[in-house]
Amino acid sequence: MTQCPIQARENAELLLAYCARKLDPQTAAVLEQHMENCPDCRAFGETQKQVWAALDAWEARPVSPGFDRRLYRTIEAEEHGSWRQRFLQPLMPLRLRPAFPLAAASVLAAAVLLLRAPEAVEFPEPAQAEMVDVERLEKTLEDLEMLRQLNLMARAEPAPSPSM
Amino acid sequence: MGDRVNYDMVAVAAVEPDAELMLRVKEGDAASFALLLERHRAPVIHFLYRMVQNQAIAEELGQEVFLRVYRARATYEPTAKFTTWLFRIAMHLALNCLRDGRSERGQESLDEEAPASSSRQISDRRPTVEQDLVYEVRLVEIRRAIHSLPAKQRAAVLMHKYHEMEYSQIARVLNCSESAVKSLLFRAYETLRDRLAHMA
Repeated sequence: MTQCPIQARENAELLLAYCARKLDPQTAAVLEQHMENCPDCRAFGETQKQVWAALDAWEARPVSPGFDRRLYRTIEAEEHGSWRQRFLQPLMPLRLRPAFPLAAASVLAAAVLLLRAPEAVEFPEPAQAEMVDVERLEKTLEDLEMLRQLNLMARAEPAPSPSM
Repeated sequence: MGDRVNYDMVAVAAVEPDAELMLRVKEGDAASFALLLERHRAPVIHFLYRMVQNQAIAEELGQEVFLRVYRARATYEPTAKFTTWLFRIAMHLALNCLRDGRSERGQESLDEEAPASSSRQISDRRPTVEQDLVYEVRLVEIRRAIHSLPAKQRAAVLMHKYHEMEYSQIARVLNCSESAVKSLLFRAYETLRDRLAHMA
């Protein structure tokens, strides 16, 4: 229901600017003169001014006092926490980034296995110690056997006669 | 082309103190970031609050806006007005939030008592209960009217009305033409006139 060409969408900025008091005084005067004779534009202007006044009543709330502190804490956490990320990020093409956690887990698992391997290699040492013990045992057994044979030999020999 | 870009960058940095501050942040000056935060914290959060109509979400998004600014310091080039860039980030986050329905889930009741009434009580000294009630009803109606606008129209109206941005700057923030902004504003104010004109 646009009667006046000033109210057409492409020209409405003139009326909107007038209601927002952004129009230069000369243009505003010309428009006011037009509005005196154009009831449609007058009605448009009046309702737009009313909307403008209504919107003025909506005050925004004050920002909470801890806003800056929270922000600086996050920035600090990022600065100190992600040096590895910042180092690795330029090295990785974008499409590989989602695979990074999986790759990191694989590398970590491999590293753990490699680090643990030398401990397994050291196992022969206790085995060698066991061999030493067996030798000693064998020697001890041989010694005992020798003693037993000596005892037997000693029993078998006749005791020397007192008459001789 | 490259010369043109360099010329634009020099021109923007020369005339715009915010761009100059951001270039100092790029060089590692933390005090300049604090100054930018001090200057733009309230406008950005007020814009976000009126977009999502929830103070907690608005502040959460505001944190993200300034965090993104800080993160982007190394690659910052003053090719546009600083506030255009800032509001573009804010608008992008607000639109994402509205799209996710996060603001709907956390929507503050439109009928809740606005904290602005407490400041009115101090300034007016003795407002009657009736005056308070009328004020609350008006606020609820305004918030509902703004909430009823499509997101882009809402953003355009908020930037035009509360942040006094030119059509060209709103167009850059919304990434559209100036004529598209005029069209958005025309339709938005048409809706608002229908809903709010009786209030004055």
